[in-house]
Amino acid sequence: MSRTSIIALLIFGAILGYFLSFGADTTRKFQARIYQILAPFFTTGSGLQKQITSVRTGLKSLEELEKENASLGVDNRQLRATNSALRDVEHEVNRLRHALNYRERSVFKLIPAEVVTRDASTWWHTVTINRGKEDHIETDMPVVTDEGLVGKTTTVSNTISIVLLVTDENCKVAASVEGTREQGIVLGERVSGGLTPLLDLNFLTKQANLQPGQKAYTSGVGGVFPSGLFIGMVKSFRARELDGQAKLAPAVDLSHLEDVFVVTGRK
Amino acid sequence: MIFFFILLVLLVVAQIAEFFIPPLDWMYHAHIYIAPVLVFYGAMALPFPLMLALALFAGVLLDALTVQVIGSKVEISLGWSILLYAVLAGIMHGLRPLFIRGRWEVHCVLTGLCTSAIILAQYLMITFRRGSLFFTREVWWQIGGPGLMAMLMAPVIFWMLNWVARVTRYPYLPERSFE
Repeated sequence: MSRTSIIALLIFGAILGYFLSFGADTTRKFQARIYQILAPFFTTGSGLQKQITSVRTGLKSLEELEKENASLGVDNRQLRATNSALRDVEHEVNRLRHALNYRERSVFKLIPAEVVTRDASTWWHTVTINRGKEDHIETDMPVVTDEGLVGKTTTVSNTISIVLLVTDENCKVAASVEGTREQGIVLGERVSGGLTPLLDLNFLTKQANLQPGQKAYTSGVGGVFPSGLFIGMVKSFRARELDGQAKLAPAVDLSHLEDVFVVTGRK
Repeated sequence: MIFFFILLVLLVVAQIAEFFIPPLDWMYHAHIYIAPVLVFYGAMALPFPLMLALALFAGVLLDALTVQVIGSKVEISLGWSILLYAVLAGIMHGLRPLFIRGRWEVHCVLTGLCTSAIILAQYLMITFRRGSLFFTREVWWQIGGPGLMAMLMAPVIFWMLNWVARVTRYPYLPERSFE
């Protein structure tokens, strides 16, 4: 090995040692800084992705229309295209109106946010949102939609934040089941083969005998999540050797998240 | 040197692009990784010191964008990806003479295997922290799927990067010629 290579190896080792010595706080700050630098690219990328998806959807519906209405003339096709574009706008208006209504009737102080990117890694379930310290977002704030709980913020930079989804094994939520006195801890599955993974509700009593369709809400224990947020619906229950475990279907379709709210407190 | 900086820029672009590529439902939700293909190409095309610099940059970027900090603990410490990239890139670098002679087949296959090795190592590390090691069909697909995709992408990406190298007049010379 040449002298240059040995020097390079030594410098590499020193830098590696420096990074490995980072604690949680330093790592969070470093991560926030990197996200802040890349934030403009994420936002632009997210916009581009939405445009591409919208064009693709438009083309698909045009193809279907052409098949169904081959006999229609040019004028008719133009009218249909205009109609389709207006429907997109209507959908957008309805979505935003829905979100606004939820914000007004909610008992929590909510900050609206848009999902910028989804997780790029295999083993962690996260999304990034376009709100950060500048919007008074802090670490460990619950994130919800009008349908229920989404997750909590972990790393927060000035204009962008990482949200740990409720489907991640590391996102532990204290929960209670409606109509019972059962309490447990909800956590996600480490590996899921589909877009909508299930949640595990652990540490229930063996006699809980939960029925499919019963709803699980946050119990407020632990301090991060306020009580009363809808987490998911029971799909199945089984008594284990020491406790009972229920499988929950998440309240929110996390594969199609667009708009979310960060809970900053009660009104 | 220009080629090295182009590789760095491409690495950032690839790392950002990975956030917008949806996982493959038909492959048990496996993700597509482009960045490792670029790093492993760099491992063969660059001299040893620059290969280390590339592994360092790629590792920092990967860790910074994916590492999970929950409360007061970090799931996989910042720096582990640097080590993984450096070790695997070092193995690829050992096959550099073959690459310079224009034989890419082994490298394409190895790129896929090394990509899977990174994901397997991540899985083992989080399992070590969280407990209960298991290997279901989903786990194998989520580890092997990205490797398979990287293996398929490698010839195209290698060809494109080779073209960039030619345009920037980057010489694929043995180590000593750089010193």
